[in-house]
Amino acid sequence: MNIEMDDLTRRFGRTQAVAGVSLQAGAGVYGLLGPNGAGKTSLLRMLATVIPPSSGTLRLLGRDPGAAAGRREIRRKIGYLPQDLGYYPGFTVVEFVEYFALLKEVPSSKVPAAVAAAVERVELGGKAKAKLRTLSGGMLRRVGIAQAIVNEPELLLFDEPTAGLDPEQRVTFRALLRDLGETSTVVVSTHLVEDVGAACSQVVLMYDGKFAYRGTPAELAARGDEHSVGDAPLERGYSAVLSGVRS
Amino acid sequence: MGAIESPEPEGRDTAFAMPADVDIDRVWIGVAGQVWRRQPGRLELLATRLLRSPGLARALLTTPSLLLPWFVATLVILCAGVAATYGTDQSAVALIAPALSAAGIAYAYGPGIDPAWELARSMAVNDRMVLLVRALGVFLLDTALGLAAMLISSAATGIVVGWLIPMTAVSALALAVATMTRSPNLGVLAGVGGWSAVLYMTQATTGSFADAVNLSAFTFFYLAIAALCAAIVLYATRMTRGTG
Repeated sequence: MNIEMDDLTRRFGRTQAVAGVSLQAGAGVYGLLGPNGAGKTSLLRMLATVIPPSSGTLRLLGRDPGAAAGRREIRRKIGYLPQDLGYYPGFTVVEFVEYFALLKEVPSSKVPAAVAAAVERVELGGKAKAKLRTLSGGMLRRVGIAQAIVNEPELLLFDEPTAGLDPEQRVTFRALLRDLGETSTVVVSTHLVEDVGAACSQVVLMYDGKFAYRGTPAELAARGDEHSVGDAPLERGYSAVLSGVRS
Repeated sequence: MGAIESPEPEGRDTAFAMPADVDIDRVWIGVAGQVWRRQPGRLELLATRLLRSPGLARALLTTPSLLLPWFVATLVILCAGVAATYGTDQSAVALIAPALSAAGIAYAYGPGIDPAWELARSMAVNDRMVLLVRALGVFLLDTALGLAAMLISSAATGIVVGWLIPMTAVSALALAVATMTRSPNLGVLAGVGGWSAVLYMTQATTGSFADAVNLSAFTFFYLAIAALCAAIVLYATRMTRGTG
């Protein structure tokens, strides 16, 4: 199992962002759905080892992220795309991806080919030498995805990856997600249920810091009925589960 | 369209003949990797050798307060300090340099100032090391600039050693506050404010600002502040269970 968490919590002062969640996840694409403030980003940040849990047990790729040695090994093998990708405007696409390859301790001799492969995979080869300040929001998102996959990670964490992508790019990205999920654990936090339906093998729905639902996209869609809110079956299932936990 | 069959003559060697087992995508990635490859400059190569980490070297060279605009601003302020030293016979450089260093170090790393801070926090190269290397880089650059300015100014060398110690304390204070509050602006405020308070109190007590860097009686105080602030930074950047 690449992710093992048991009764994981995260508090910010008096606010409990993640309230005792448990999950075991191997290879596959896991969609993390939920309304704003449900705790998705906090959970992803813990999985990315950016913030520590307040309590509970967390093991990533068979290691303890609380220990320095384990955390370093984990970080070599994870890819993370935060919600707000900060970038250096004066860097080119290649320089940015290379920078994070180096920080992930990809061996220097392998960096050029790894960077080229990642940039080509997100179809930014034509912009490889372009400064980041000249790119559109969708292209910057793809640069963020390139840095996340540059080390061929075993655990990938994407926070709102399709924000800013046009419909064609979203279709391409979903195919990439499915491809990555063949061998790695991919966790995608999103508000777009159609992304989940098209790319994810499992769905986790968070509400108020807890897991309100876990299953396949088809099972979630089956939860909806003609009274549920939404245009598509998955949206109706999503709103039906949310209505259930709210009432 | 009617296709005309024109089988290749057996054994013919053409320029486009390619073995069936060649993965053209793989070849292209190799070519692109070499074409796009960035050649590190001499400074980066030197930093890589010294730090034994290409990632740390690159992180050092991306320090926000080591970039050209900062460097130019620092130079301008120090030049103004040299001019003021000549004009007033008070070593303004020695009084300005600690505050400059404090500001640079507070702006070296952290949320709100490093655009890719959150991403950098998830990297194998430890963010504490990045912070340490960047703070040291800013400190060393400011020290070098300050020393150069001292050599230009007349009342220079006598107070150089005394000035370095308060600069360490003020820089550490700025770093500690910036790290604890996650706000570089508060770090600058603490560093500059703290140093201003020391200067004001020294002037009130001895009648000279310059005694803040001249009197050896202050050395223990500065070193204690530096050590305390370093401990605070280490505590604030630890990775344990947390609620903050």
